Formats: sequence, structure tokens, C-alpha cells
Amino acid sequence: MAWKIFGGLIFLTFVTVGVAQVDLGALNFVVAMLVASVKASLVCMFFMGLKYDHKENTVIFSTAFIFMAIFMILTFGDLITRGDVYVKDLAHIVPEGAVQASGKSKYEKPWESNAELVSAGKALYASNCVTCHGADGQGNGPAAAGLNPKPRNFTAGEGWKNGRKPSQIFGTLTKGLNAMPVFGTLPPDDRWALVHYVRTLGPHASETDSADDLKKAGLGEGGGGGGEKSIPVGAAIELMAEPK
Amino acid sequence: MANSTGSVSHLDRHHAHHFESAVAEFEACKQGMWIFLVTEVLFFAGMFMAYAVLRVFYPDMMKAAHQLLDWKKGALNTVILITSSLTMALAVSASQRGEKEKIVRNLWLTFLCAGGFMVVKYFEYSHKIHEHILPGALYNYEHLTMAKVPLFLSVYFVMTGIHGLHVLIGMGIILWLIRRASRNEFGPNYFTPVEITGLYWHFVDLVWIYLFPLLYLVS
Repeated sequence: MAWKIFGGLIFLTFVTVGVAQVDLGALNFVVAMLVASVKASLVCMFFMGLKYDHKENTVIFSTAFIFMAIFMILTFGDLITRGDVYVKDLAHIVPEGAVQASGKSKYEKPWESNAELVSAGKALYASNCVTCHGADGQGNGPAAAGLNPKPRNFTAGEGWKNGRKPSQIFGTLTKGLNAMPVFGTLPPDDRWALVHYVRTLGPHASETDSADDLKKAGLGEGGGGGGEKSIPVGAAIELMAEPK
Repeated sequence: MANSTGSVSHLDRHHAHHFESAVAEFEACKQGMWIFLVTEVLFFAGMFMAYAVLRVFYPDMMKAAHQLLDWKKGALNTVILITSSLTMALAVSASQRGEKEKIVRNLWLTFLCAGGFMVVKYFEYSHKIHEHILPGALYNYEHLTMAKVPLFLSVYFVMTGIHGLHVLIGMGIILWLIRRASRNEFGPNYFTPVEITGLYWHFVDLVWIYLFPLLYLVS
């Protein structure tokens, strides 16, 4: 019996390695974890004897995985629902200059495009975005192949997940979306520059922000910040982690 | 097989006075080991959590960084550990029958597999140290300069390092078992130490069964 289980475990190891050589997209991970769990169950049931043991021991060991699941659910629940941190609360951790730089726009209404922003956006786009979104903004950069969902095609006017209004694109940059990382560490004017450049890549963007849109995005009169200055948690962590 | 509940039913071995019988003592010892293994799962859970967060937040980095590892060495170590689980299971069943030669032989085989695992680990680690493929600021590898790759190596070294420590501790316990088995201390009436060391050893195998695909085969 022990030998049969051993044979099964070795066989499943080869299955894991074999499947990893084939690109099945997201399914690779699912298959690898399923096979690992079958192997783990074999070890638990036969080598560790849970199949023949008192049920108590199975119950005891299972609680470990229940608590592990609670741990993971709560941690991810926290990570994906984090709001912003007030800049004033970071003063004791991050040098004031660093936060100031990412706090306020120098334009009165940065959600309205101007030539300066668009040309700054072009340069920023080349260094931050082309890897995924491609040089022409068609969502076909070198890294796009491995991504699902695919990066946004900026040359198409339709299908933008969060919308195509300046405040909406600004929000996507600030908070990230799916595989797209948080760009909240970029100063707001850099983000606004990217917003206006990206809007020039597709058909003429007629959508503009109403007062309501701005309010919803936490933006308002007085420089793109609105109210108490704040940055996303992810951006705050990046600032703290930067070598002094 | 680690099936053991039946074989201790008739024994009249001396047992600690707070146990009703030697059988109760054996069952309590085994249950204690299972409870310890629960704490071990939760101990590793923190590290698996760190891995999961990195994987969700930086999927591209994880995909690029795992290529720094040699999956062939990882697969070899998987086979070695599974083999050691087999020999450990054979040692446990031999101890239930009191076959001294067979217990000692299988424990030595388990010990050798564990040693082999550590030798492969040694080659992996020394290669990485030599190439400066290391966590945090120690990372200095020109062929992969992607941001946050050193985070993957933090997770890799902490997880495999603590797992390796478990292997080393297991080797020490197995040596102790070999000594006791050579003195003919184990048989149908008493094999608790072999049984619960077996549980520990299979747990070490269990952790590796997940570590291997997660660290070496990211896709």
C-alpha cells in the first residue's frame, strides 16, 4: 500500500512539472494547486494515517486550514478596500517635501487639458505605460501578452472600465485597475498629464467632467486635491519604503 | 502504513500514572502531535500569505523572478522528499511489528534522503549567493533588474530556509530514533516516538508539496 501511494505521488509530481510546461493561462495555477492538494490528501490519509485514525485528529488538523482561510480572507479584504491616508498623518514618517510633491496640482483646473500637460504626458507615457499599453496606445505592449484582462486600447473610444472622463482616468491611475499597478506615487500633475495625453490617442474625447463628476472623484475648485490632502495607502507605503 | 490504532489494544506496557492505559497514552501523544502540526500550518500560513499578496499585486514580477530558480533541482528535491516519506512510513509499520533491522534500515534511508535534500539546497543557495541573487538591498544581478524582484527572493529564502530548518531538526530526531531502535526499544507494545516523528516528517513533505509548484513553477 505504501508503495502504491508512493507511485501515485511520484506520478503526480511529473504531472505538475508537465502541465507547467504548457501555457494554459490562469488555469496553470488552478491545476498546480489541485494536483498539490491531491498529493497532500494522499500523504495525510495514508502516510499520516488519518483514514484509519480517530475522526478527532482529522477535525483538529482541518481547523488549521479553516483558520488559514479566515486569515487570508481578512487580509485580502483589508488590502483591496483600503482608502486614502491623510498626508498630515504621514508627517512623522515621510519627509514633508516628498509628500508635498505628490499632494497638489499647480493648475487651477487640471481636469481641463492644455498643451503643456499633453506634452509632459507624452514623455511620462513613454517611461511608464508603453510596456503594457504599447507605443501607439493599442494595448499591445511587450508585456501585454501575459495579461488577462488585456491592457486598455486607448485608440478605441469605447469600453473604458472606469469611463473616459478626465476625473475617471485620473482615478484609475491613482488607484490602479486589475493588473495595472497604482500610479498614485506619481505627483498629481504627472497623473493629469497622462490623463490628457491618453485622451489624445483615441477619437476626439468629447466627454468632460461635470461638477458632479468632480465631486464624486473627490476633486474640486482649488487645485485638484480637494479638501484635506490625501494619497492612497499603496502610495504611502511606497514612500515609506523608499531609502532615505 | 501509519495505521496503528488496532495494534496497541492488548498491550500492558507501563504508562504514566495520569493515563488510564498505555493505549490512552499513545492516543494522547499522537493527538498532541496533530495539535502541534496545526500550529505549524498556521506558522507557515503567514509566509504563504506574504507570497499570495505578492502574487496578486505583482503577477509579472513573480513570473519573471521565478525563472531565477532551477525547477529541475526543485523537482529532484520533491522526488527525494516523497521517497523519504515512503521510507518513513515503512519504518513506522516495521516498528509496529518490532522488526528491528527493518526499522533501522528505513530510518537510515529517510536520513539519507533528508541529507540529499539539504545537499541539493546547498547547491541552490550557494549559486544564488555567488550570483548576488539575494533579498532586499543585497540583490545585485544584472540579468534581471525588474522592480520588486528582491521581494520574491525574500519570500523564497525565508520559506525554503524555515522549511530546510525543519528538515535539519527532523534529521536530528531520526538519528535519535535510530539509536533507540538499535537498542530494540520499539515493538508492538511501544512505538509512539516513531509514529509521531513520522507525522512530523510527512508534514515537512506536505509543506514542500506546495512550495515546489508555488516557487519554482509560477506561470
